[in-house]
Order: sequence, then C-alpha cells, then structure tokens
Amino acid sequence: MTAHTTSVRTVNPASLGVSTPAQQTPLPTPIGLYVHIPFCERKCPYCDFNTYAGMASLYADYVDALCLDLARWGSALAARPVATVFLGGGTPTVLDEALLARIFQAIQDHFALLPGAEITCEANPGAVDRAKFQALRRLGVNRLSMGIQSFQPEELRFLGRIHSAEEGAEAFQAARTAGFSNINLDFIFGLPGQEAKSWAATLDQAVALGPEHLSLYSLIVEPGTPLHHWVESGRVPAPDEDQAALLYEMAMARLDRAGYVQYEVSNWARGEGASPGVSRPTEPTHVCRHNRIYWRNQEYLGLGPGAHSHLTLAQGAASIPQELRWGNLRSVPEYIRRVQADQSTVDFQEVIHPRLAMGETMMLGLRLLQEGVPFATFQERHGQDLRQVFRAELARLTEWGLLAVDEERVRLTRRGLLLGNQVFAAFLPDAS
Amino acid sequence: MNLDHIRNFSIIAHIDHGKSTLADRLLQLTGTVTEREMKEQLLDSMELEREKGVTIKASAVRMIYKHQGQEYEINLIDTPGHVDFTYEVKRALQACEGAVLVVDASQGIQAQTMAHLFAALELDLAIIPVINKIDLPAAMPDDVAQEIEELLGVPAEDIPRISAKNGVNVETVLERVIQEVPPPQGDVNAPLRALVFDCHYDPYKGVIAYVRIVDGQIQGTPSLLAMRKGTRMEPLEVGVLTPSLFKTGHLHAGEVGYIATGLKSVQDLDVGDTITLAESPAAEPLPGYQPMKPMVFAGLYPSNPDDYDDLRDALEKLRLNDAALVYEPETSQALGFGFRLGFLGLFHMEIVQERLEREYGLDIIFTAPSVAYRVVKTDGTELIIDSPAELPEPTEVERIEEPWCEVHIFTPAEYIGPIMDLVTKRRGEVKNQTWLDSKRVELTYMMPLAELIVDFYNELKARTRGYASMDYSLEGYRPADMVKLDILVNHQPVDALSVIVHRDDAYPKGQKLVSKMKQIIPRQMFTVPIQAAIGNKVISRANVKALRKDVLSKCYGGDVSRKRKLLEKQKAGKKRMKMVGSVEIPQEAFMSVLRLGDED
Repeated sequence: MTAHTTSVRTVNPASLGVSTPAQQTPLPTPIGLYVHIPFCERKCPYCDFNTYAGMASLYADYVDALCLDLARWGSALAARPVATVFLGGGTPTVLDEALLARIFQAIQDHFALLPGAEITCEANPGAVDRAKFQALRRLGVNRLSMGIQSFQPEELRFLGRIHSAEEGAEAFQAARTAGFSNINLDFIFGLPGQEAKSWAATLDQAVALGPEHLSLYSLIVEPGTPLHHWVESGRVPAPDEDQAALLYEMAMARLDRAGYVQYEVSNWARGEGASPGVSRPTEPTHVCRHNRIYWRNQEYLGLGPGAHSHLTLAQGAASIPQELRWGNLRSVPEYIRRVQADQSTVDFQEVIHPRLAMGETMMLGLRLLQEGVPFATFQERHGQDLRQVFRAELARLTEWGLLAVDEERVRLTRRGLLLGNQVFAAFLPDAS
Repeated sequence: MNLDHIRNFSIIAHIDHGKSTLADRLLQLTGTVTEREMKEQLLDSMELEREKGVTIKASAVRMIYKHQGQEYEINLIDTPGHVDFTYEVKRALQACEGAVLVVDASQGIQAQTMAHLFAALELDLAIIPVINKIDLPAAMPDDVAQEIEELLGVPAEDIPRISAKNGVNVETVLERVIQEVPPPQGDVNAPLRALVFDCHYDPYKGVIAYVRIVDGQIQGTPSLLAMRKGTRMEPLEVGVLTPSLFKTGHLHAGEVGYIATGLKSVQDLDVGDTITLAESPAAEPLPGYQPMKPMVFAGLYPSNPDDYDDLRDALEKLRLNDAALVYEPETSQALGFGFRLGFLGLFHMEIVQERLEREYGLDIIFTAPSVAYRVVKTDGTELIIDSPAELPEPTEVERIEEPWCEVHIFTPAEYIGPIMDLVTKRRGEVKNQTWLDSKRVELTYMMPLAELIVDFYNELKARTRGYASMDYSLEGYRPADMVKLDILVNHQPVDALSVIVHRDDAYPKGQKLVSKMKQIIPRQMFTVPIQAAIGNKVISRANVKALRKDVLSKCYGGDVSRKRKLLEKQKAGKKRMKMVGSVEIPQEAFMSVLRLGDED
C-alpha cells in the first residue's frame, strides 16, 4: 500500500479489512457494479473514453488482473448486495467467450448478486455475431447496449465507426434472435452540418427496429480528441448548438409518438401499455436500472482503468464513514501492475461533503424527468428538507419556469430540460 | 564643494532617442556605478519603465568627474520623455542650469524634442545639442546637424556626434557640460531655500524629497518647513543620490540631493514647494510650478465588488508616487462602487491601469475616457462635466463646449496625406505646415481633445510606420454639437457604457457599439435587445438571441466529478459577470467601448 500523508486515505480494498455489516455504510441500498473493458478495435475520433486500440496482447493479463480486483473488492464489500452489473467500455465484446466467462465467473464468485439483477453488456456492431450474443446470454447477460450512432453511411464515416448502417440493423436482429428482450441503441445527433431530414431517417429506422431503450447524445467536441483538433484547425465546422436543439426537440416529439418515455435527459424507454401511434405511454418499463443508480446519486463500485466509484466507506478500524468518489488510474499496464502488487489503483479521490452531496443529488436527480428529486428521498439521504435547504434556488428557478414543484418532488420543466445546466449549476456550492 | 565645481543639468530628448542609454554611459564613465551594478537604463527604476523603455518619473544622480585636474560634482536630473509628462520635464529643468538635447541621428528633431527644448529655453538654460545613434545604418548626422543649426544657431560642426550605445564620444558630452553649463548661483549663507523637484515614497524612509538647494544649507536634521503647504517636517536624513540614497548629513546651495522628510504621504508635500528651516525660515518661497491639471477622465471599478477596498488602498499607494493622479469616489448603477480618475493624458492613464493590474494584482474595469466639457445650461448657469452621467437632459442644455488642442506633428513628408486624412476624420483643422528640411515637415493642427484621447497616437504611429511624433497643448474651449449616446441592454440604459460623442459620429459609433455588444454578451435565457439611443431616440438596435439548449447530454458514473466541475466553472463565470437588470454582461463589454477605434 502506498504511503498516505493526507487526511484522506486513498481507497484500497486491502485497507478496509474484513467488513462486517455493522461497519458498513448507513445507506442500506444495494450497489451497482461497473466493470470497464478498455479495449476497442478502433478508436473513434470523437471518443474521449478511456479505451485503447491495438492492445489485444494485453487481453488475457488484463482479465487476470480484473478478476483479482473483483476478488479483493468482493471480500471488502461482501455485505453489499449487487443490484446491477454493467460491462462497459470500450467494447467488451472484443474479448472472446472464454475471457468474458472468467469475468462473469469472478463476479458470481465474489459478489452477492440480487435475484433478477440487471446485467448489461455493451456491444458494437461489426465486432459481434449471433454466436457472440448467444454466448453473452449463456453468461447471464440480460440487457444489451449497442452503439449504432447513426443509420446514415456518411455520418458513420464521419464518426469513424467500423460498421455500416446495414450491419447496425443486422446486429440488432442477431441480438434479438439470440434471445435478448431488453436492448438499448445509442445514437449521436448534432453532427456538423447534420440536417433534420437525415436525423429523422435515423430515428425512423431506430423506431422501426423496436428496441426497448434508446440513448440519444448530442455530439460534444471533447478536448484531446481528433475531432477537437479538426474543429480547432478549421477542418470541420463546430457543431451548431441551435441546430442540435432543433434535432433534440424533433427526437422528443418523434419518440413520444412512437411510445417511448423520455425518462432522462438523453434516455428513452418503452412505456407501459403504449402501442405506437395509438396511445401515450405513462410509465417507462425498461429504464436502465444501472444508470439510474448514478442519477439517484446512489452507490456504485467501478473496476478497471479509469473507472469511477461512489461509496460511503469507513476505512481503518475506528474511522467515521465518509462519502467518497474516486477514479482509477487510466493506464492499462499500470492498472495490471498495481492489482498484481495488491496496491491501490486510485488516481483521483474526493470526499463528498454533505453540502456538496446535496448539490450532486440535485444535479443528477433532476436529470430524471418524471422522477425528479422526491422530497422524501432527499430527506432520507441527507437528513434535511430540500425545500428548506434550497428555498431561494427553488423560488428563483420556478419563477423562471425552469422547475416545477409539487407535493412530492421537484422536476425540470420542458424549458428547464433544454436549459438544464443553468438549473444544475444553481444547486452546486460555489467552487472554492 | 565650491559652487564653481558644480554642474546641474538634464538630458532632454524625444522618446527612444537614447536619453537613458546616454545617462547609463555617463554613470559608467564617471565610475558612479560599477560595471557589475550596471543594469540597462539604471535610472528607470520601475519595472514598467524598464519594460516600456520609457522614463516615467524624474530621478537624479550625482557624479564626480575629473576635468583638467579638477574634480567636479555633476548632477544629472533625469526627465521623462513622453508627451503627457511635459510638466515633469519642466520641474526637472527648473533645478538645472543646462540641458543636453539628444537628437537621434536617424530620425532628427521630433515633436517632444521641441516641446522640451522650448521649456528649457524659457528657463534660460544653456543648451548642448548632441547627435546620438551615429552607429545606426540609417544615421544621417549631417542632415540632423543642419536641422539643429537652423533651429538653435549652433554651428553644425560644433555639435558632438556620439553613440551612447557603443560609448563613442560620450566623454565629449561631459566636457561640454563642464565648459558650457554655468555653475549654480546661490548664497550659502542666506536662509535655506530648497526647491522640491520630485517626490518619492519609500516604504522604509517615508517621503523622499528630491531637492535642489537654491540658497543656504542643511546640516544634520533640523526641523524643516514646506513654505507653501505649511507642513512641518522632522527629517530623518539628508544626502545625495549615487543614484541610491547616500547619506552625507549636509547639503548646500547649488547642490542636488534628497531629504528623507519623515512624512508619510506625498500628499503632504507638493512638488514645486520650497523647503526652509523651521526655526529660521526664508522670507519668500521660490516661484513654484504651475499646478498639473488632469485632461482625461475615466471611471475605474473593481471587477469584483469585494475588491473595492483593495482598489482604494492601491490608488492611495499609487498617489504616493504620482502627484498627478487625482480621483474621487463614483458610483455606477451597472458597475457599483468605484472611482472617477483624472489623468494628464492617455499615456498616463495607460500607465496607471497597468500599474494597478501588475503591481497590485487587481482585476479592474476602466470606462471609456472622457474630457472635461463646459456645459452652459438654459438657465444661464455653467458647469464643467467630465463624465457622461453628469450631462444634463438635452432640454436643459443651451450649449456644450469642448476643449481644443494645438497639435504638433513632425513627420517625413510622404505621410502628410495619411495624417491629413486622420486629422480631418477627427474634426481637426490645419493651422500650419512648415518644412524642417527637404524631407520632413512640421504640421500644426487644431483638434478637439476628445478626438485625441481615443487611440489617436497609436493610429498616427500606424499610419506613419512609427515615423511621426506628436505633442499637444490645450488651447481653450469651443462650442460643439455633442450628444450623449446611451447603450440600452434589455431596455435599461447601462450608465457605464454611455459616451459623449459628436452628433455626426453618433450613428456610426452607435452601430459599432451595438454590434460589438451583440458579439460579447453571451446568449441568455431570453432574447436580449441591445439599443443605442440619443435621448429617447433609438438609432441602432440588435438582438442577442435566446439560448435554446444548454444541457449536458451525457452524465454517468464516470463523469460526475468532471461534469460537476464544468457546471461549477459555468457558475463561477456567471458570478464574475455584471448583472444589469436581469442580463449578465461580461467585463469585456465595458472595455470594448474603449477599443472602438477607426479600424474596427
């Protein structure tokens, strides 16, 4: 274990000792488990995730390390039931069945999965076939999230995707045939020069496939990506925010008509009792439960390079539990080395003080459009009345038509949804 | 030392003609400073001076030089070179019997050379012309010598040609000073009269007065009296400048030195005052200087209202060393609490701004500069205003008068056209045109000061590739068709953005301001109309479109900290903006008014 000079210890499962329920967090909720696979066949020019191409030689060593890390964290957090597992990346499906099987076995061996746990795996068209999907089914995966991004060939080219529009649709069908009944499709909109027409065509094709869940992301030019460089050097025009707004509103209208409920800023799920074009859904039935843990500001453990965790932990024998968020170092070889040496893999760590935790609950919870932030949940989580703590903010943002408050909760209005950052920022403490 | 062996002189020159370099060489030559101590342009002590390559404050130094077996005490009183600082030049000259006039061999006589030369002639000083920079490839020493001969009547062949940079012929300058500058007069036995020609605040010794002892002497540290101000002083020490303070314990008539007055603020001692002994005072003070009058005014506000006290402290400290700086508190509805500052000119304003930012680390907003207008109201009363906010309603105004200047521009003849164009655009009138030689002319114009203070000098330099020089002096008031141009943001006038402009300029200026503001004001949650108006009449308008979408698309477990920091940054950025009504206006908006030059 590395030396600690600061008052906050760097999280290391070894330092937590053998945990007992009495030592554990006051939050009784189960946790989400995120497992990161930092590999892709090719890196897309817009992507700033921690993922690498051309590292196939490390796959086996990485899976070894990951299994070790799962084991040590599993014993440290033995008492925490796991409600959701999310295998993300990267592209987890670049690993062969044997390696994937070892990961799932380690999860089963070291964590207490709740009955009916949601187990999601990300997949990208082009790297998967029916056999791979069947293998995932056998390993217990019950939800798939596929990065389709677009059905327009020229857009896929711009985004540097390795698959064609047809392969996207085929991959979806293959997953269905393999037995997946809970599938999410990811799309990106607001590409430079993207017209409403092409976005409408992509949406129509998506709806026609009938996935249970859709995630639509507005293209962000992230610093450090090739796309950022292209925009900076003038090779590619910057995405137009007004056009992105138009496309976003278009998607809202279309998906609503098609029976999807927008339950989060960028996420839609099929609704209860809705038949496309006939009746409006009321309740989303296929929300991503794992992601909802993030938005509810609940606890999760993330393993793998660059993965983040959010847990309330008591470290050492007599210390007081602290709400922590930490991120692992991003280098794959270094992660492997540290796990092998039973050292901490933490690169960044922060203590979430009570005032900040309340701000984060608002910033994250308001992203859930129907659920919002219920007063009761807030009271339970923070021991304070949201309406008291944020009286001034609520008054101002309600007056501006950005928030709606009722007996039970506070939610974004439609206007508030479009200007969400203005709302979220208002609840955060001033940066020091 | 015997008065016959003392010489007091100044160097006068146009900016960049090599005054400071010559001073450095003289210090080296006389062994006043060693090579090791020698820093480039030693007399320019402020960081800013060094950086800008100009001398802002006058300072002085004593040198000992052996000439024909005799030891001489030579006091060099440094002068600033820029157009705003003519008053400080006059102060320094008043403490001298002679002046070395440095002219650049490649550029010839320039506008400020003339201004300073006239000041020296007025005081009846011995003038020693010197041609510097003969090492430059573009040097034309013969032409320049001819120019000087015509101007001063000094035979061209008698004028020393030197290169201060390379140390060529520098000794001749000292020889000439000894030969041609008369020794000081003064009665060592008369009651003490010491002329204060500069002041400086030292954190350890308090106010240091730079003095020329005209009559009498100081021995030790007797109680002193500033005759005009009536301030009594218990000095800590007296001495000479080498150029650092060197305590000698005595100063007598004819000498130049310093008195550590024990005072805590330069406000307690006016430059130009006469210091005498408190117990046996002189009967009459020496003739003083003309008080300095601020010509340019601007509002000054802290970007962050919490910094108001820091700003006030910084101004107080700045005033310790800059007696020309005047200010009073001012309030703006848009910018909150601040100050109205008066400056000697634009250059002075720039220096104050830079010093506040650099030395005091303050983030500040300067409003558009203004001149002092004379307003005659319909009821016959008259007032002087220097801020757009003070301008009465148009209906109450009988007429407005604005200050006019006489502007002298020295330029190579090929730039007459572009200069003429610039001056006419700025409402200038041609008064005179004199050929200096076959290639260079002196142009004299009459121009409103208001036109001069906004970027005129830079524009002049740009149009003449740096060859033209200028000097100006105030020449009285003339009626002017001035109007107050208001900028309204979301239908609310923003007082800090109002400017007084000539009616003919109001439309183009209004349009420029509106389009600039449109670029600078970030999109808000609602459409923000921006208007330029004279009274109730809107002359230009534009809209800042409402923000349509501003929401982080992705936010998952791995993003929370980073996304939160983005939002925190957004929030902090909003806090730094000024709220005018319900609109957030960034500070640049206020600065942009200043920068609206011709080339925009």
